[in-house]
Amino acid sequence: MSNELVHKFITTELSDYTSILNLSSKIVKSWNATSAAKKIAVIGTSSLQMIVMTLKAMLICEGYDIDFYEGEYSGLKMDIFDPSSRLYEFNPEIIIMIPDIHDIVVWPELLCEKDEVIRCADEEVAAFNQMFETIHSTLPNTHIFCTNLTGPPEEAMGNLGGASIFSKHNYLSVINLDLAYKNPDYVTIVDVNRLACEIGFNHWFDPSAYVMSKQGFSLSWIGYFCYLLKLQIMALTGKTRKCLVLDLDNTLWGGTVGDLGYENIILDPNDPEGEAYLTFQKYILELKSRGVLVAVCSKNDEEVAKKPFELNQYMKLKLDDISCFVANWQDKVSNIRQIAESLNIGIDSMVFFDDNPTERALVEKFLPEVLVIDVPEDVAEYTRTLDRVHAFDWLQITKEDLNRTSTYVSNKKREELRLSYSDYSEYLKQLKMRAKFELVKDSSINRFVQLLNKSNQFNLVTNRYSEAAINELRNNEKYCLYTVSLSDCYSDYGIISCVVTEFDGNICKIRDWCMSCRVLNKGVETFILKKMIDLCVDRGITRIDGEYKRTDKNKLVEKLYNKLGFEEDGFSSDFYKLYHLRKERYFEVNTENYIKEV
Amino acid sequence: MSRENVVDQLTQIFREVFDDDTIVLKDDMTADDVDGWDSLTHLRLIMQVEKVFDIKFSTNQLKSFGSAGDLISLIKEKKEE
Repeated sequence: MSNELVHKFITTELSDYTSILNLSSKIVKSWNATSAAKKIAVIGTSSLQMIVMTLKAMLICEGYDIDFYEGEYSGLKMDIFDPSSRLYEFNPEIIIMIPDIHDIVVWPELLCEKDEVIRCADEEVAAFNQMFETIHSTLPNTHIFCTNLTGPPEEAMGNLGGASIFSKHNYLSVINLDLAYKNPDYVTIVDVNRLACEIGFNHWFDPSAYVMSKQGFSLSWIGYFCYLLKLQIMALTGKTRKCLVLDLDNTLWGGTVGDLGYENIILDPNDPEGEAYLTFQKYILELKSRGVLVAVCSKNDEEVAKKPFELNQYMKLKLDDISCFVANWQDKVSNIRQIAESLNIGIDSMVFFDDNPTERALVEKFLPEVLVIDVPEDVAEYTRTLDRVHAFDWLQITKEDLNRTSTYVSNKKREELRLSYSDYSEYLKQLKMRAKFELVKDSSINRFVQLLNKSNQFNLVTNRYSEAAINELRNNEKYCLYTVSLSDCYSDYGIISCVVTEFDGNICKIRDWCMSCRVLNKGVETFILKKMIDLCVDRGITRIDGEYKRTDKNKLVEKLYNKLGFEEDGFSSDFYKLYHLRKERYFEVNTENYIKEV
Repeated sequence: MSRENVVDQLTQIFREVFDDDTIVLKDDMTADDVDGWDSLTHLRLIMQVEKVFDIKFSTNQLKSFGSAGDLISLIKEKKEE
């Protein structure tokens, strides 16, 4: 695959559908999947060829090694309900299901009551669930992405379509709502309906393209459609963005605070531009409350830059909302690196929003892993532009996400406490940490999967799992899956570490171990080792095995097992190390920590 | 728009869609004469023609054309409407 082709493809606008299709065709032609390729099946009711081709090209350009199965035409049920179908033979890790309104079997009768509409929708969604379950019973480790329904393209009842509960239009909304609410863990709904609404239905659906070649939507939108799916697959495989890095002047407010002073920047709701900046700030607050980290990176004197946050009466964002505030006269590339380091996140999990095209170009050039938003000239378009990029399309939002930003803010208080003690262990004692080590519960499965898939730095083996795969392990008595939650006197971190252990005779193997980097250097590792040893003593286990597989990002834990006192096996290499800890040494290793078990 | 003009632009489109810079259009050229002209590339061909010439074919026109010559006449017809 030529780099030039990849570059051309990733710099093509999603709206330029002819280039997208031409380049996709070229990329797919010159691509050969290896035997280790990730297998993805796309099944559905309308035509799938262009979708498969484009999505495949997008994933190849993201560096994925993939192999695709394209479902039978109009063959959703054929693929799913025939146990000997090519779908099952292909044995995919991921299935993308693209049903459409032609799959709806029963529509509510005219003039029927609300209960009847609900009953009808329940039945329809039960049929979907039956499809999910059938797939799941044969392919228990497969994750399913299912697009929701769009339409109908026409509504014979005219205005009454919106005004009657039994209309096709409202019926589809009920089904979509039910789908969002009732889907099992191993299914993620992809909100294509919203994309269709954003584009507008007259443009989204092309009646001629449907009758000519059964396109479920106009291929002018193929780029946008496949982009949504690509983000979902990336999220499933641990590639998500976590942090929004913001400029200040002409990004969060109008004008330059250094020139105008904090009270005269454009932010007054009575000024049209001021109101637009405030709208953008409100949106950022919404991002923050769903768990996105917000950082500031501005060329300013720090004191001047902080003034509006502290003193301007209209500012929505406060200093406490900002997880990392960097204002100085250095270049933004170094500053973004510094922000990543101080928040303990990867550069590739950052999104950069700056009105200055020169700054954007620099970041794009020197930090290509950062997602740089193409900020429009008009501030009124800021919110929509950021929203449409779907920069933070995660698979789920957990309780820990909601607490995250507050723990970063508490970090500042912890830092103050740390500085007040010259002795680090004295500081750790003062934090009054409490932790719980327990088997994963139904209510914590989401977080368990999320943490395993999102952790990069403190992740010993970096296996990525679907929720379905984790449930499978959980039901296998050879495996025990543990979560560790932590709190201290400042905040409740929630679940911050996951361990997957495999018991085989007298040996306990630590198959996976990951931890959130927010709790580094607090003795959580030794606390966990202590718990593991207690457990192994109880079970009569005579040896604990550990392994380390090097990735681009987990150098941090390269020596973890060495530090914990494990012995390194002779045949380890730089990339793959094996360790063990024998019973005789269980109580010799250092498990000192200042964490109280609860 | 002259026929020559249409042929020039259409040649470019054919070359791009079929990824072959040696294609020279002939009126009686059909799917059998061009490597890779299948239902998928056919669709891309139509989409690109509609975009480049800023026209939209009717379903009736789409289902009946079979040769490059048909396509050239259709484009000319559409542009003259």
